[in-house]
Amino acid sequence: MTLKTSVSRRAVLAGAAAGSAALAAPAIVSAQAGTLRIGVLLPRSGLLAQAGQSCHRGALAAPRVLAELGYRVELVHVDTESNADIARTQAERLINDGAHVLTGAFDSGHTLAIAQVCEQRQVPFVVNIAAAPPITEQGLKFLVRNFQTGPQLVTNGLRLINNLIAATKIDPKRAVFLHANDTFGQAQRNAMDAIFPRTNMPFQLVESIAYDPRAQDLSVEVTRLRSLRPDLVLVVTRASDAIKLVRDMVRQRFEPMGIVSPGSPGMYDEEFYQALGPLADFHVSNLPWVNPKSAMTQALERSFAATNPGNRFAADGFNAGFTFEALLIAADAFKRAGTTSGVPLMEAIRATNLTEHVMIGGPIRFDEKGQNPNIGSACVQNRGRMPVVVLPEDSATMAPVLPMPGWQGRT
Amino acid sequence: MSVFAPLNGRAKLLLALFVVGLAAAPIAADRYLLSVLILIFYFAYLGQAWNIMMGFAGQLSLGHSLYVGLGAYVAAALWTKFGIGPWAGMFAGMAVAMAFGAAIGWLGFRFGIAGVYFALLTIAFAEFTRIAFDHMDWTGRAGGLFLPVRAEQAHQWWNLRGGPLLFYYLALALMLGALWLCATLRAARIGHYWLAVREDEAAARALGIDVFAVKMKAVLISSAMAAVGGTFYAFYYNNLFPAQIFDMSRSIEMILAPIVGGLGTLIGPILGAFILTPLGEGLIAATEEAGLSAPGTKAVFYGLALMAIVWVAPSGVWPWLRRKLGLETP
Repeated sequence: MTLKTSVSRRAVLAGAAAGSAALAAPAIVSAQAGTLRIGVLLPRSGLLAQAGQSCHRGALAAPRVLAELGYRVELVHVDTESNADIARTQAERLINDGAHVLTGAFDSGHTLAIAQVCEQRQVPFVVNIAAAPPITEQGLKFLVRNFQTGPQLVTNGLRLINNLIAATKIDPKRAVFLHANDTFGQAQRNAMDAIFPRTNMPFQLVESIAYDPRAQDLSVEVTRLRSLRPDLVLVVTRASDAIKLVRDMVRQRFEPMGIVSPGSPGMYDEEFYQALGPLADFHVSNLPWVNPKSAMTQALERSFAATNPGNRFAADGFNAGFTFEALLIAADAFKRAGTTSGVPLMEAIRATNLTEHVMIGGPIRFDEKGQNPNIGSACVQNRGRMPVVVLPEDSATMAPVLPMPGWQGRT
Repeated sequence: MSVFAPLNGRAKLLLALFVVGLAAAPIAADRYLLSVLILIFYFAYLGQAWNIMMGFAGQLSLGHSLYVGLGAYVAAALWTKFGIGPWAGMFAGMAVAMAFGAAIGWLGFRFGIAGVYFALLTIAFAEFTRIAFDHMDWTGRAGGLFLPVRAEQAHQWWNLRGGPLLFYYLALALMLGALWLCATLRAARIGHYWLAVREDEAAARALGIDVFAVKMKAVLISSAMAAVGGTFYAFYYNNLFPAQIFDMSRSIEMILAPIVGGLGTLIGPILGAFILTPLGEGLIAATEEAGLSAPGTKAVFYGLALMAIVWVAPSGVWPWLRRKLGLETP
């Protein structure tokens, strides 16, 4: 639900020689007394629309839960259109409009564009999702990130593969790493190259294969995969290429023990389930996830069902969960700081210590760089076209199943 | 001001007021308006660079993001890897972009690849450069290249480190510099050669114009200018990703302003940028005000507005406006 006060704007004549073009230059509007005004910048259209809309659904579900917890927030939603230019100008506009905190922005480039604005204007920025390590390596004082960096995702993802092997008693000897050659995929590849040799995994990583996520199909990559005979296929994908990958595996009758993502989206997206049906089952994603046993998660799920009746919380849990937590962090800091002023509000955000939250992991805290080091990861396996937590045991609602059943005869 | 001969006295006065107004704008403009104006100047500048290729010389390039990306990456990489400042890096970026431009030009013009086929060639170069940069370790591959943002460098204009005012005046200088350069070129012999080639290449050749050399000059100047824009972009945003900077959508963004404003005119790219960027920003605010929160709503209205503009002024807004306001020389 979007709560928004009406904002008056002054029209600005731009270009005397050219005639006039109205610019929406907003007046600063104060939020209701005692309410925190949060600008939510997400890529709800354009290239990143699928993920951005998923995050947005979490933001829509948030106010009700936050109100139940005693927080008063007002959200202003802005679509960055998957464009860094718009992300930057809209960050400026939101602050002009009286936003006390900004959250977003899913994409690392957009996040850094917004972060520069927030730094200059001394407005706190709580990053919901963005994995590039440099975001918290720049010494930015008005930014915190409640999301794992690429290397953290891979480290936790690989650790959980060991747990998965132990829990299912499989004995893989060979693995291949297949990744989309985009910003995120490349960051994961770099992390994999650096971290895998140090992890003493019980299998050999025989090759890493990069593919263009814009390719029409992945038949060439799957042919190469088959020739390498891996027991495990480790993937970093997006939904559309994960679909292509499984389809080409089925076409070529290639059946590894399992397809496991050491920290990427794709295989738990609604699009993946809809496109593949029973073929979407049994794939594993190792990544941060909502804790199904947390009371706050359950409250968020109820609110999500009410605000997004056409969508399943299970498939949106990752994006919605992190977006909700970003808002929770801001709201909690405001409650403690008792002011919307940027500097004390940021101090309160940096002093965050939230033991009750929705994502699996320890208390939400931030180190000196503004990074939350306590975010956990879970093994999430697709079961019955649903992402289900199968590890760690204290959060699991099902036991993991590997090797995965063959493609044929699935229902 | 002889280079602005096509403009009459009233037009020159308006232009002078316009420049003075923009120079003084930061006194009254808020941060948001400044950020929008920076974008306007940036796209106006790039529009001028592309206008030399298409508007003056008649060569359709749909891969200008290649030159912007090269200028951005070369300057940013020299800065992050060797500490070479952006002003020097800018010239290195220009040189690399011109080398690519020369290669494209030579292939296209030497072998008679023209029209849409030349456009495809430019797209192909931009695309394979994107893929190459996706795999180049030195520039961070697809994972991106991040320029450090250090507090101690917050006010070093010589390193393009500073606040919005620095980038505002820099972008304004780029836009006005490009206007002056384009006006100078168009008034010069080369400008007339370009127009001759654009109108009828065979006739131009028959008149003794070295068509190949003339077109090569267009691509070299245009690519160098675009590379400077890329350097500005790199230090304004402080991060670069091949998938974003080399993307064809960036090339399309770049050519919209001159097309809407008036292809082949001096003021067209500036006017186009002053229409399109505020239009986009205004529509975001307007759709938000109207409670139209469905993703892509703004894009629908933006598309409709573009159609309306093209319907009213098919040759561009500037030629139409010039007639309406009586700004032409008799």
